[in-house]
Amino acid sequence: MDRRHFMGQSAAVLGLLAGLSTQARANLPKAEILVIGGGYGGATAAKYLRLFSNNTARVTLIEPNTAFVSCPMSNLVIGGSRSLAEMTSPYDTLSKRHGIKIIQDSVSNIDAEKKMVKLASGKTLRYDKLVVSPGISLNMNSIEGLAQANKDGVTLQAWKAGPETVALHKQIAAMREGGTFALTIPEAPYRCPPGPYERACQVANYLKQHNPRGKVLVLDANQDIVSKGALFKKAWAEQYPGMIEYRPKSNVIGVDAKNKTLKLEVEDDVKADVLNVLPQMAAGEIAIKAGLANSNARWVNVNFLNFESTARKDIHVLGDAIQIAPLMPKSGHMANQHAKVAAAAIVAELSGWEVNPAPVLTNTCYSFVNDREVVHVASVHQYNAAEKTFKTVPGSGGLSPAPSILEGIYAWGWARNIWADSLG
Amino acid sequence: MQVKYLKPILVASAMVGLSQWSGLSMAQTADQLYKRSLSATCANCHGTDGKGVVDGGMPLINNLTSEQMLAKLKAYKSGALEGTIMPQLAKGYTDEQLTTIANQLGKKQ
Ligand SMILES: Cc1cc2nc3c(=O)[nH]c(=O)nc-3n(C[C@H](O)[C@H](O)[C@H](O)COP(=O)(O)OP(=O)(O)OC[C@H]3O[C@@H](n4cnc5c(N)ncnc54)[C@H](O)[C@@H]3O)c2cc1C
Repeated sequence: MDRRHFMGQSAAVLGLLAGLSTQARANLPKAEILVIGGGYGGATAAKYLRLFSNNTARVTLIEPNTAFVSCPMSNLVIGGSRSLAEMTSPYDTLSKRHGIKIIQDSVSNIDAEKKMVKLASGKTLRYDKLVVSPGISLNMNSIEGLAQANKDGVTLQAWKAGPETVALHKQIAAMREGGTFALTIPEAPYRCPPGPYERACQVANYLKQHNPRGKVLVLDANQDIVSKGALFKKAWAEQYPGMIEYRPKSNVIGVDAKNKTLKLEVEDDVKADVLNVLPQMAAGEIAIKAGLANSNARWVNVNFLNFESTARKDIHVLGDAIQIAPLMPKSGHMANQHAKVAAAAIVAELSGWEVNPAPVLTNTCYSFVNDREVVHVASVHQYNAAEKTFKTVPGSGGLSPAPSILEGIYAWGWARNIWADSLG
Repeated sequence: MQVKYLKPILVASAMVGLSQWSGLSMAQTADQLYKRSLSATCANCHGTDGKGVVDGGMPLINNLTSEQMLAKLKAYKSGALEGTIMPQLAKGYTDEQLTTIANQLGKKQ
């Protein structure tokens, strides 16, 4: 743009800005901002809405749980080397340190027309801006017999960290000598692409020490390992020879809880001692119920500049619930990054500024192949204005060359820092 | 109605002679917000505003000056400096973005 053109344009803009300035200043502190869900996306959004507004925005976080329990690292609880307490953080730092109002409740309904949310307790709240980060829902009905089997505790998911994580470890520890642990993986996209393969490592690592004739059977609906494939295969062959059997293209369609048997779409039934069945996943229930899941009735399409739902104005959706951009994983790291772009965009919008036209996201994801050695995958995603999506930068990102203890230290460093960044 | 995002240097040059314009500080804040949100992409691993968990296992960056930080980021990007994740991440940012981050997070002398 030449200078004359700029001056001409800016004169118009200046007039506009002058007119807007009082309104803009007034909007930010007056607006009621509600955040649904205190996970990686929601907690970070709440905190950064306060930080980016220099503590002027009014932010209320609605979350049913009393404390945050991290899914990242929770596979180590299943493998027996760490406790759930180590990956649990309180929510009250967000209120004490950052002035966020926290309501311990869950949202049962969103009325986008009236800009109201209804809580399970019956209370209603109005909003000017709503941030929705409810994570995933597990479609227990996508596999015959699973809903009941899961209710009865015969099969566990442990894909939302909490009591089931501990219960699954106990089932593995109580497994008969030489027994089989079966893990089923749904077709991608699902929460945490490398997560199931890390889990296979953790269970094998436990069995190697406590039940060396025990087996891990991985039934994967996908064509091949979805993330870090070569690294996992090498670790399995070298560290757990003969222990992990991997079967790609194995889609589980039914569970016979009584006989502890899995029914597969094509192959013969499989019997195992401990069943960890991960069904198809979709956006958290509240997003679906509110009519936000406009991508195959499963995920939420968003405008990637501000993470506003394409279905509803002033509702910004983050984290696992969204329809991802190419090569964007459903990860906690990514949810935290979505939150910062959305928080900055909301602060800008309420201030009367255009949102940042060139946001950036990164992802790093560490997987433990035993209790100390780790491999990673990393990527950088720059906004592409022409295609209105995020694209990874050619030549950037990548994998570890091999598992290492140094990366194991960094993995814990990552966890402690992201917990502090999101909740501290 | 929204206004266009303005690059700070252009805004500053446009401001010359326009004293008493109340939007000036606002434009600076918009730019500041952009810089803060870009730098926040580092916070997952290195802490909010670059203040990482002490003895948390992740290398701390808040002892670096902006100059030192930029030199390091550029060395990761060029491959001159080895590392696990940082050489891969640094290659994803433009030089301008790395400069912004270093100015934002580096220790002020
Ligand atoms: C075993 C495992 C390992 C993983 N490892 C990694 C890893 O190493 N690195 C990584 O980056 N990611 C990892 N992930 C992925 C990561 O956990 C998710 O991507 C991340 O949690 C997504 O954040 P979110 O905010 O979308 O959802 P969540 O973190 O699940 O948060 C959702 C929150 O919303 C609340 N909520 C839901 N519905 C309502 C409602 N109606 N009202 C109020 N609140 C509601 C829930 O209680 C919950 O607290 C792993 C996941 C698993 C399962």
